[in-house]
Amino acid sequence: MRIKTLKRLLPRVGVDPARVEMFNLSSAMGPRWAEICNEFTERIRQLGPSPIRAALGRGGKGGTAS
Amino acid sequence: MIVGKQKPIEETWAMVKDFSRVLVFGCNTCVAVCHEGGNKEAQILASLMRMKATQEGLSLEIRDSGIERQCEHEFFESAEKDIEWADAVLSLACGVGVQFMVKRYPEILVYPGLDTCFLGDVEKNGLFTESCQACGKCVLAETAGICPVSRCAKRVLNGPCGGSNKGACEINKDLPCAWQLIVDRLEALGRLADYERLAPIKDWSTERAGGPRKLIHEEFMK
Amino acid sequence: MSVKTPSKLEKILAAGHQAVTSECGPPRGSDPEVIREKARLIRDHVDVVNITDNQTSVTRMCSLASCFHLKQMGVEPVLQMVTRDRNRIALQSDILGAASMDIHNILCLSGDHQSFGDCATGQNVHDLDSMQLIQTVRLMRDEGKFLGGGDISRPPEMFVGAAANPFAQPHKIRVPRLAKKIAAGVEFIQTQCIYNLDRFEEWLAEARDRGLTEKVYILAGVTPLKSVGMAKYMKNRVPGMDVPDEVVARMAGVPKEKQAEEGVTICVETIQRLKEVPGVAGFHVMAIEWEEKVPEIVERAGLYPRPAMP
Repeated sequence: MRIKTLKRLLPRVGVDPARVEMFNLSSAMGPRWAEICNEFTERIRQLGPSPIRAALGRGGKGGTAS
Repeated sequence: MIVGKQKPIEETWAMVKDFSRVLVFGCNTCVAVCHEGGNKEAQILASLMRMKATQEGLSLEIRDSGIERQCEHEFFESAEKDIEWADAVLSLACGVGVQFMVKRYPEILVYPGLDTCFLGDVEKNGLFTESCQACGKCVLAETAGICPVSRCAKRVLNGPCGGSNKGACEINKDLPCAWQLIVDRLEALGRLADYERLAPIKDWSTERAGGPRKLIHEEFMK
Repeated sequence: MSVKTPSKLEKILAAGHQAVTSECGPPRGSDPEVIREKARLIRDHVDVVNITDNQTSVTRMCSLASCFHLKQMGVEPVLQMVTRDRNRIALQSDILGAASMDIHNILCLSGDHQSFGDCATGQNVHDLDSMQLIQTVRLMRDEGKFLGGGDISRPPEMFVGAAANPFAQPHKIRVPRLAKKIAAGVEFIQTQCIYNLDRFEEWLAEARDRGLTEKVYILAGVTPLKSVGMAKYMKNRVPGMDVPDEVVARMAGVPKEKQAEEGVTICVETIQRLKEVPGVAGFHVMAIEWEEKVPEIVERAGLYPRPAMP
């Protein structure tokens, strides 16, 4: 439910909602966990650097919480 | 409870982006129940705003905090430091909470993060519906326990009006006609004859029309 | 029922004639000629003419000023007044304004919701509802008092009307609702447009059984259909309207260019049948933006000439 909410909100601040996902797994599901990690890493790689990282690279400094 | 809805982030962002220390401040009672203004929602909104700040290259610092209720002095102690740190507070309370903070912290700029919507109930998960307008003179005893002041689009006290359509209000087919509900309930209770009692002209002076209202309990005042 | 006001409508009804009323909508502008022109089309064929009050919540010339224009040309107006746009100060004030022009008929309504009109973001007032407006006019007229208790010098002399819809839901309170309006003080009723005659007669029979037709004059509302499209629209889109399938089928059964004529014929037949029903005190002919058909309908229904009243 909260992930749904986030997926609705993220585009409003310029972030692709595909960058967040939630999976429910038990501790006994090691192989599935590895698979998800690989898939998700690949997805993020495809999407490229996040606009936030890009902004930080440009020397932006804001958005730091204490 | 009071139901509110977060303002679009573009609107709240425009309020706070030119400050250097912004506190997004949750109110964890009514507006937390409707998932719009609780401490959790304050965390999320602060986080989203940090993302925005970074992308826009702004050097403002955004923190989040929250308390149980922003409409009562006794809850503020735990957040006093955060509030004093900020040069602007984006309050996620209803309009009551925002104004209470304005009174309590005259030096700090307090902005509304929500649009306060109505007094309502949790009809079911995720569905909140209006059911009282605080008119100051309850008519529920005369209307089979269903309020025409808040639930009829014309607040008619002798309804239904000509717009009642197959049980729904003419303005929205998903909105039940309050007077259909009243008539149905009177019938179910075997009291349909009560329908013919004319509701007298209402005294609206106890409502908004009479100006801001107060309730005073002298015995509790120090 | 004895006559209590100088209203021509009341006199005609009290004399036992079946009355004929009609209505005109004011223009979206300030040209009085528009309202006069509509009135000229129907003045010889109806007894009084209702002027709508910002109907469907679309802003128009006010009912009061339009009534004044009718009055000046010698046509007796019925001032329609909705509780949507005015609080009790403005309602009473406009009633006095109308009384100052010797307007002798008023129709008390709640009014369509503003969301249907050209000011959907506006407020609505509904300080009183339609029944309470009826009570207010009667108080002002009969007791010469304002709602606030003060005395009125030269109280209004108005014959008080309201609307009734025999077809709306919930069905079980249609007659009780009429009884309630009578208890509030209403003296004449103009009904919603009737297409389902059986249902109307059933409602009227129930009202008769309760003795209500002895206490109020009921004018049956009729509206000629212009086309099968209008019949379908009324059936499906207008709340509280009951257009039976047979009526739609009858309109659909004639070629397009004959549909208007068929609509007028249905209207005439409706009046002819209802004229014979005890408790029908007259007819309210609402030819929506089709005023020129009113004379034909009235003549063919055998309601012409209209009685002359002093």
